[in-house]
Amino acid sequence: MAYIEFHNVKKSFGKNEVLKGITLEVEKGELVTLLGPSGCGKSTLLRCLSGLEEVTEGQIILDGKDITGVEPRKRNIGMVFQHYSLFPNMTVEQNVAFGLKLKKEPVEQIRESVRGILDTVGLAAQAGQYPSQLSGGQQQRAALARALVTRPKVLLLDEPLSAIDALLRHNLQVEIRRIQKELGITAIFVTHDQDEAMVMSDTIHLMYQGRMEQSGTPTQMYTHPATRFAASFIGHYNVLSRKEMETVFGVKTESEMTAFRPEVVSMKGREERGEAPKDAGNCCAAGIVTSGLSHGNILRYTVRCGSVQVDVDALFRSDRIWKEGQEVWLTLAERDCISL
Amino acid sequence: MKEKGRKQNGSAAVLILILIYLLIPLAACIVYSLFADWTGIIPRGFTLEAYRSISMSEAFWQALLETVLLCAAPIAVTILVVLLAIYAVVVYFPGLEKYAQIICMIPYTIQGVILSVSILSLYVGSKSFLSNRLLMLVGAYCVIILPYIYQGIRNSCRAIDMTTLLEAAEMLGSSRLYAFFRVVVPNLMHGIIVSSLLAVGIIFGDYVLVRNLSGSTVTNIQIYLYQAMKSDSMKSSAVFVMIMLVTFLIAALVMAGQSRERKK
Repeated sequence: MAYIEFHNVKKSFGKNEVLKGITLEVEKGELVTLLGPSGCGKSTLLRCLSGLEEVTEGQIILDGKDITGVEPRKRNIGMVFQHYSLFPNMTVEQNVAFGLKLKKEPVEQIRESVRGILDTVGLAAQAGQYPSQLSGGQQQRAALARALVTRPKVLLLDEPLSAIDALLRHNLQVEIRRIQKELGITAIFVTHDQDEAMVMSDTIHLMYQGRMEQSGTPTQMYTHPATRFAASFIGHYNVLSRKEMETVFGVKTESEMTAFRPEVVSMKGREERGEAPKDAGNCCAAGIVTSGLSHGNILRYTVRCGSVQVDVDALFRSDRIWKEGQEVWLTLAERDCISL
Repeated sequence: MKEKGRKQNGSAAVLILILIYLLIPLAACIVYSLFADWTGIIPRGFTLEAYRSISMSEAFWQALLETVLLCAAPIAVTILVVLLAIYAVVVYFPGLEKYAQIICMIPYTIQGVILSVSILSLYVGSKSFLSNRLLMLVGAYCVIILPYIYQGIRNSCRAIDMTTLLEAAEMLGSSRLYAFFRVVVPNLMHGIIVSSLLAVGIIFGDYVLVRNLSGSTVTNIQIYLYQAMKSDSMKSSAVFVMIMLVTFLIAALVMAGQSRERKK
């Protein structure tokens, strides 16, 4: 029996059905990510687990108990919100102690627990400061400490890093993962950022239009997308129809759709090699570079092959930069193609 | 830079002119209360007699005390009612906010005379506690200050994400009502204080309601001022200056208290 179970959970707001029968299991001590585009229902699912939203249909089990109709304050679930939601009138220490005071724990024990968790998140020096005196990253760590100090059964993180700048976000991803492992707490993380999901998760659950699209480890999700949406959302895959594969690469495929990642396509100039490269197990297409955008150490080119656009990723090397309008050969190994 | 400096000087000049315009009546009152004769351009005969006479008057202090007490009760009641209404609207009936706002804004349009006559015709014959004149007066003040208190608190509510704060507290084990008063209300204090001071100003300035509703049972500071005007114009100016000083003092004390609270 899993630690958390969602059984055919449905949620509607009026006539709008946001969750269309979600069934999901989370093991104890895992950090799972609910990943998906805005409006796919991932935050709603999280809020259903927290009790802040009532489910329309279905059942939620936590640690063997049915918590579907239980009030949020009685579920013993910690939550970190997108915009921190620290209480502005309280210091960091008072914010963190809030939940413990409600549990009527002895004062000395509260002081000790608060000190301990602030040490863990690296905020001991800011204990006496108000939220307005903290940076975004510090506020998020204070919110994390506040959620963790009550020793909840599950920690829910609702896009907690989306309002933080890129460098700090990366540091906090590592930090949250470290704390989660250190405390051995079960955590559910909601994000729309696939890179964040890849870095942080034990398991990723990809959601789309209120349904669970695919679940798996980050590696499985990246290398074996099961649907067209999963392929385009997680690995930025090129997804071509059977007809497009035949017209562009001259390959007859059995499946309706074929997906391949931009980094598995190699590119050569047509002036260097007039004829199409013909290697066993590879297929080839002629194209024209239409744009090239830098993503740090990667250059992402868009190549037009007839009526089809193909994205190609190449390492950013100053001696090999393709210009717009250049004619190129695209080579793709058939083993890198995934049938959808 | 020169252009910017010129614009700043222009704004400062306009501000000073408005300030002078607003302060002229107050300054004239102060001068009038301090000089025995002001028939020409230059006032003559400096004296503190009017102030001495007021400060020795038991009736003045009695009127002032009654006015302060008359302020405290309706302001406290209205703040509580508005806070509970906002809590109910935010937590349980978000769709009703516009109706709550309309209801709270209606008293803006009601004149004091109409309100007092309506209240009298409704309750004066009642055999219940509602026919109590003092209670009627407090109730009328609650109605009159309602829009100011509501708007002040509502504006403060917009500065915080009340729903998420309540949810965050709830996730930590708090009930919604406890979270509202422990987490949300402290963050609305600025709005509560500003609107309360506005309400103090309104109640201090009331003559119509107290005259019509309380009859002779209450003599507030405006009634005292009216009586002073009938007997001695210099004394009435002094009373006016004293009223201004007391309201400034109340505002200053409350603001100082709040700023000390913020520093904590």
